[in-house]
Amino acid sequence: VSALLRSPRVHLVLRLLLGAVFVYASLDKIWDPAAFAKIVYQWQVVGPVASNLVAVTLPWVELLAGLLLIAGVWKRESALVVALMLVFFIVAAGTVMARGIDVENCGCVSLAKAGAPTAWPPAWMKGVGWFLVSRNLVFLAASLVLVLAAPSRQGSGSHTETARQRAAERAGLTPASGAGSQGGATQRPSAQGKT
Amino acid sequence: MHWDGACYFRNMAVHWKRFILILVAGAAAGFLWNAASGRGFALGRSVLVQAGDELVQVADARTLLDRGALFLDARPRDFWRMSRIPGALPLPEDDFDRGFAEAEERLRRASGIVVYCSGFGCEASHVVARKLRERGLIAAILDEGLPAWQDAGLPVDTEPRS
Repeated sequence: VSALLRSPRVHLVLRLLLGAVFVYASLDKIWDPAAFAKIVYQWQVVGPVASNLVAVTLPWVELLAGLLLIAGVWKRESALVVALMLVFFIVAAGTVMARGIDVENCGCVSLAKAGAPTAWPPAWMKGVGWFLVSRNLVFLAASLVLVLAAPSRQGSGSHTETARQRAAERAGLTPASGAGSQGGATQRPSAQGKT
Repeated sequence: MHWDGACYFRNMAVHWKRFILILVAGAAAGFLWNAASGRGFALGRSVLVQAGDELVQVADARTLLDRGALFLDARPRDFWRMSRIPGALPLPEDDFDRGFAEAEERLRRASGIVVYCSGFGCEASHVVARKLRERGLIAAILDEGLPAWQDAGLPVDTEPRS
């Protein structure tokens, strides 16, 4: 599992998915800040003026962090920003549910009014409830992988690479300190781990 | 740079300056957008309040009620059926025309009008007050709505209506 969590491919997929979700979720809010501010206010987590400040700043942090994740710039820091936002979202949803407030529209991704009940997406998917919390927990787990698990450096096939490395160490072909079977400007030409 | 272990981990550590910078840059972009895009709004007061809206606090609303002001319940009619500020008429935001037709005569004669809804975050009272203004009637909006009224220990009529 640890190798999987450190796989650069897994990191790439998680980055692109999380980044896309956060960029997409920010667009509607950026386009109509006042409508988003009304929704934040309806959550009754912060007062009217603080709701305005959240509504104005939050979507841009989402957008910026999402773009950085997609671009692969400052990966860990942007993943940490995303994780922090998700923690706030989960706590806020928890307090809304605990107090029994009916937030007709989550405002999480789209600002469209709930309107008439639709077959798809159903109400439990649009409102603030367990579906939202579970979804955010999945996103949080993904962002924490990006923050906490440093990707192994080899571009692909990290499993086979480390196995081959270990086999080479056992055979005494490379120094056990692991100073480098992987690429780098300082690589000695005699290194064996390289394929 | 040597790819030894220490350097590897130093490389991968979270740079807190970058973390802060993402937050600060995002927030700054948001304020800039709000100020310059033409899509922004006034940040210093509740976003529900627009120019021309007149808010009234609970204590003053109580005085208005005692002086015979007409109260309007802007929540969906089912809520009004369950409970209401004494004497309030239903004028739901989502069924305005019918409620207005029923109440118009009394509204035109009223010495004062106060609209309320379910409080904190609800916009119905603001919408109803604006629609009344379009029809030449001035209505005050009860700040924080029915919950504030109840929290102040003021009477609520809970007799079911049909």
